[in-house]
Amino acid sequence: MTLGAIISKIQSSHSYKRASDQLRYKRQTIAEWLPTLPGLPYLYISPFFILFGIFLLFPTVYTLYLSFFTYLGVADGNLFEIQLGAVEIAIPRIANLEFAGLSNYERLLLRDSLFHRSMYNTAFIFFVQVPLMVILGMATALVLDAKFIRAKGLFRTLIALPVATGLVAYSTIFLLLFNDDIGLINYMLESVGATAIPWLTDGFWARITLVIAVTWRWLGYNMIIILAGLQTVPQQLYEAAEIDGASRWQKFRYVTLPQLRPVLLFVVVTSTIGTFQIFAEPYVITGGGPGNATITVVQYIYEQAFLQFNLGYASAASVILVTMVSILSILQIKYGGGED
Amino acid sequence: MREDTRNKALWKFGSYIFLLIVTALVTIPIYWMVVTATIPQSEFFSWPPRVIPGTYYFENLAALQENTNFIRSIGNSLIIAISYTILSLLLCSMAGFAFAKYEFRFKEPLFYFILATLILPIQLLIIPLFLLMVQFGWTNSFLAVILPWAANPLGIFLMRQNMRAIPDSLLESARMDGATEFQLYYKIALPTMIPSLAALAIILFLFQWQAFLYPLVILQEPEMYTIPLALADLVGAQRVYYDQIMVATSLAIIPIFVVFLTLQKYFIKGILAGSVKQ
Amino acid sequence: MATIDITNLRKEFGDDGEQIVAVDDVDLTIEDGEFLVFVGPSGCGKTTTLRCIGGLEDVTEGTIEFDGTDVTDERARERNVAMVFQNYALYPHMTVERNIGFPLKLSTKQSSEEISARVTEVAELLGIEPLLNKKPKELSGGQQQRVALGRAIIRDPEVFLMDEPLSNLDAKLRSTMRTELQELQKELSVTTAYVTHDQTEAMAMGDRIAVLNHGQLQQVGTAEEVYRSPTNEFVAGFIGSPSINLFTAAVDGNTLTGPDGFTYTLEDTAPLEGRDRVRVGVRPEDLTPVSDGSMPCDVTVVEQMGNENFLYAEMGDIDLTARIESRLNPAEDIGITFGFEEEDLYLFDPQTSSALKTKTSETNVDYQQYVQTGNV
Repeated sequence: MTLGAIISKIQSSHSYKRASDQLRYKRQTIAEWLPTLPGLPYLYISPFFILFGIFLLFPTVYTLYLSFFTYLGVADGNLFEIQLGAVEIAIPRIANLEFAGLSNYERLLLRDSLFHRSMYNTAFIFFVQVPLMVILGMATALVLDAKFIRAKGLFRTLIALPVATGLVAYSTIFLLLFNDDIGLINYMLESVGATAIPWLTDGFWARITLVIAVTWRWLGYNMIIILAGLQTVPQQLYEAAEIDGASRWQKFRYVTLPQLRPVLLFVVVTSTIGTFQIFAEPYVITGGGPGNATITVVQYIYEQAFLQFNLGYASAASVILVTMVSILSILQIKYGGGED
Repeated sequence: MREDTRNKALWKFGSYIFLLIVTALVTIPIYWMVVTATIPQSEFFSWPPRVIPGTYYFENLAALQENTNFIRSIGNSLIIAISYTILSLLLCSMAGFAFAKYEFRFKEPLFYFILATLILPIQLLIIPLFLLMVQFGWTNSFLAVILPWAANPLGIFLMRQNMRAIPDSLLESARMDGATEFQLYYKIALPTMIPSLAALAIILFLFQWQAFLYPLVILQEPEMYTIPLALADLVGAQRVYYDQIMVATSLAIIPIFVVFLTLQKYFIKGILAGSVKQ
Repeated sequence: MATIDITNLRKEFGDDGEQIVAVDDVDLTIEDGEFLVFVGPSGCGKTTTLRCIGGLEDVTEGTIEFDGTDVTDERARERNVAMVFQNYALYPHMTVERNIGFPLKLSTKQSSEEISARVTEVAELLGIEPLLNKKPKELSGGQQQRVALGRAIIRDPEVFLMDEPLSNLDAKLRSTMRTELQELQKELSVTTAYVTHDQTEAMAMGDRIAVLNHGQLQQVGTAEEVYRSPTNEFVAGFIGSPSINLFTAAVDGNTLTGPDGFTYTLEDTAPLEGRDRVRVGVRPEDLTPVSDGSMPCDVTVVEQMGNENFLYAEMGDIDLTARIESRLNPAEDIGITFGFEEEDLYLFDPQTSSALKTKTSETNVDYQQYVQTGNV
C-alpha cells in the first residue's frame, strides 16, 4: 500500500472524521470570538518587520554610526538608564567607542593603499566577470532554446550543477585544478603542447582564476533565468519577423533582445551585487595573494573587522562599498530598464 | 536553396559543438571532484594527475568523520537551514500576502523601503550583527544564525509579486463562504501559492546551506560548525585535507542537488515572477 | 427568503485627494424571491452595488436591510449571501467536492458525513456528480460554472448575487445556462441580484430590470416597462437592440421639423406644450418604408440577418437604423423614405432628457383565442 493510500484510508475512517470535525468546531468558535480587526494587515506584516527592524535595519543604521567611531572593545555599561519607582529601563551599551569623526573615511579614501588595491581588484573582477557571464549565459540559453536541440533537460541540469556546490567546496576544487605545479588544467595545457600558466602565482592570472571560478559557479543559474525569459517571448513575434524577412541576427537584435530586457537587467543587477560581495573565493583559492593582487573589498573588511578588530574602520569601508554598489545598481536600472 | 540547407546544418552543428564545450567545461571540475574523493591523498600529487575514479571513498569518508565530526556538521546545517527556511517562508508569505491583497497606510513606501535593502551586502551587516549577538549573549547559538535573514527582502518581494496573481474574487468568494481573514491566508492563499513557496524555499535553503562568512563569525565552537565551516577548517595553515574536502563536498551537494532538481520548474517560475514586472 | 431594502446607498472610492462616486444615492427594494437584474454600461456602478449588498465593499452612506434587519455593517460571512463570480472563483487547489462543501465546512457545524451527503445532493441537482473528484482546471467553462453555482446554493443562502456569471461562456452555452439559471432560481425561489452589461440577457432573465448609469439608478421595471416606457433618454437608448434612433427636432405648433427634411405632425400635442425643441426617438423596429413618409434618407448599408434585414441609412447628418422585412432589400446609395405610427413615438426633454411621451400602442393582445383546450 502506498503512503497516499494509507493517508486517504485514515482520512476516510470514521474516527478521523469525527476528530477533524471537533477541531473544526473549535476553530469556528474562536473565529466567532475574534472581532474584525481594523489593523489586520499590520498584524500580517508585523512579525516580518520586527525581525527586519532588529536584524536588518538596526545593523544598517548602526554600521553608519559605527563608521564615525574607533572601536575600543565590547562594552559592559549602559548607554541610557531611567528609573521611575519600580520601573527601570536601561539600554545597554553595545560597544565601547571613541568618536573619530570623518577620520575613518579620510584614511580609507585618501591614504589606505591596501583598500584602494582591494577596490581595484574587485572592480577588475566585476568588469571582466559580469559581461563574460551574461554573454556566455545568453549564448548557452539561446542554443538550449533552439528547437532542434535534444536532451535539453540533461544539458540544463549539468550546466546548473555548480550552483549546488558550496562556496568552500568549489573554491577548493579550483584551488586544486588551477594549482600551478600539480593542477589538472596546467597538465592538460602542457599535454597539448601549450605552456603552463601561473594561475595562482601571478597577480593578473590569479584574478582571472577568480573570474573563471565565479563564472563557473553562476553560469547555470543565470542561464536558467535567461532561458525562462526566452520562453516567455511570444512565438508570434518571431513569426512576424520571419514573414518580414528578418535574418537570424535581426530576429535576435529586434525581437529577442528587447523582450529579454527585464530578465537581463535582473541578471546584471544581481550579478553586480554578487561580484562586489565576493569573499570566499579569494579567501580560499588565492588567500588574497599573490602579494594582495586578489584581495577583495569584503575580504579586506573582514580582515579589518575580525582579525584586527578595527570595527569602526571596517564599518566605514562597508559604507563606502554599499554606496558604490547602490549607485551602480541604480545606474543599471535607470539605463537598462527602458520605459518601465 | 541548397546553400540555405547547408547553412542550417552548419548552424545546428555549431550549436551542438558550443553546447558540448560549455557542458564539458562546467562538468569537468565536478567529475574531477568525484575522482579526488575516491583516491587516497597520497596519490593526489602524482604526476600526471589521476583522471579515473578510485575505490578509496569510504576510507576518505571515515578519515573525514574522525577529523571533523562531519555528521554533526551535516546535522547542524540541516537544523539551521530547515528552520530558517520554514520561519522565513512564514514571515515572507504573511507579509507578502498583506502587501499583495490588502490596503493600508504607508503600504507603498514600506514595500519600496524593503526593496531598497536588497542592495545591502550581507557583509555590511556582519559587524553590527556580531556586536548585537554578543550583547544578546547569542554567539555560538543557532538562533543567531537563523533569525537575521529570516525577514528576507527578496522573499517578501517574490511572495508579493506572486500573490498579486491570486484573483480577488477567490478571496471574496471565501469571505462569503464564511472564511475569516486568517483563513483566507492559510486555506486559500497558501495552498494556491505552493509553486512560488517551493521556489522561495529553494532560494532560502540554498542561501543558508551555503552561508559562510556570517556563520564563520558567529559559530566559533567546532561542535556548532555548519558544513561550510567544517570544510573551511580542513583548509588549515599547515595542511589542506583535499581528499576529505572532496568527500565532504560530494556529500553536501546531495541535498541541494535533490531539492534543486525536483523543484527546478517552480524555481524558474518563482524567479521569473520577480524579474519580469518590477 | 429575504426582501432586500437598499436606502440612499452611496459608495465613493479613492483617497483623500480625488473621490470617485461609484454608486450615487440608490434606492431600491428587491422583493422576496425576485430575480432582479442590474444592467448598464461598464463603470455604471452595477457591480459595486452588488458588492455592497454582499458586504464586499464598505458602504459610504445609506443602509442595506435584509428582511428589515440592518446588515450594512455586517461582514460578508455574517450575511448569509452567496455569490457567483464572473471568473467562477473556484479554489484551484480543492476538488469539486471540497469546493462545493467549503461554505458548509466554514460556517456550519454539520458533520463531515452530513456535508458530503449534501454535496452529493447538490451535485445531482446540477448534474455534475461524476466530476466530484476533479480539480477545477480539469473542467470546461460550463462545468466550472455549475460548480460555482453548486457552491452558492449549498447552504441555502437568503440571497444570491451573480456578477456577470455567463460572460465567460460561448454564445450557445450562454443561452442554455441562461434558461437553466432561471429555472434553478425559480425552483429554489431565492432572492437574486444579477449583474450584466448585456441588455438582451437582462431582458430575458430578470423579473425586473434596474438600469444604472453614472452610479445613479435610472429606472426599475419589467422588461416591457423599460422597453416601452423608459423614464429618460438613457434608458431608451440602452434598452433595445439595435438601439433607438434619436435626434433633435424643432416644435412648430403641432409639427416637428428638421433636421434634414424630417417633418411629422402629431395628433396629440400635449407633450409639446410650451417647448420649442424636443428629442425624438423612434425604434428601428417601428420604422417602415413608405412612399410618403416623414423621414427621407439615403441607404448606406444593408445587413441581411435571414429573418429580417438591418438597414443603415443617413438622414442628412443623422445615422438611422431600421429593422425591415427580409424580402425588402434596397440597393445601397438609393433614397428611401420611412414612416412610423404616432403611438410608437418617443419624445424626450432636450434639457433634462426625461421622457415626455413613450409608446402607447396596444400591448395585451388577447391570446385566449389561440388557446387550445385539453392541451396542458
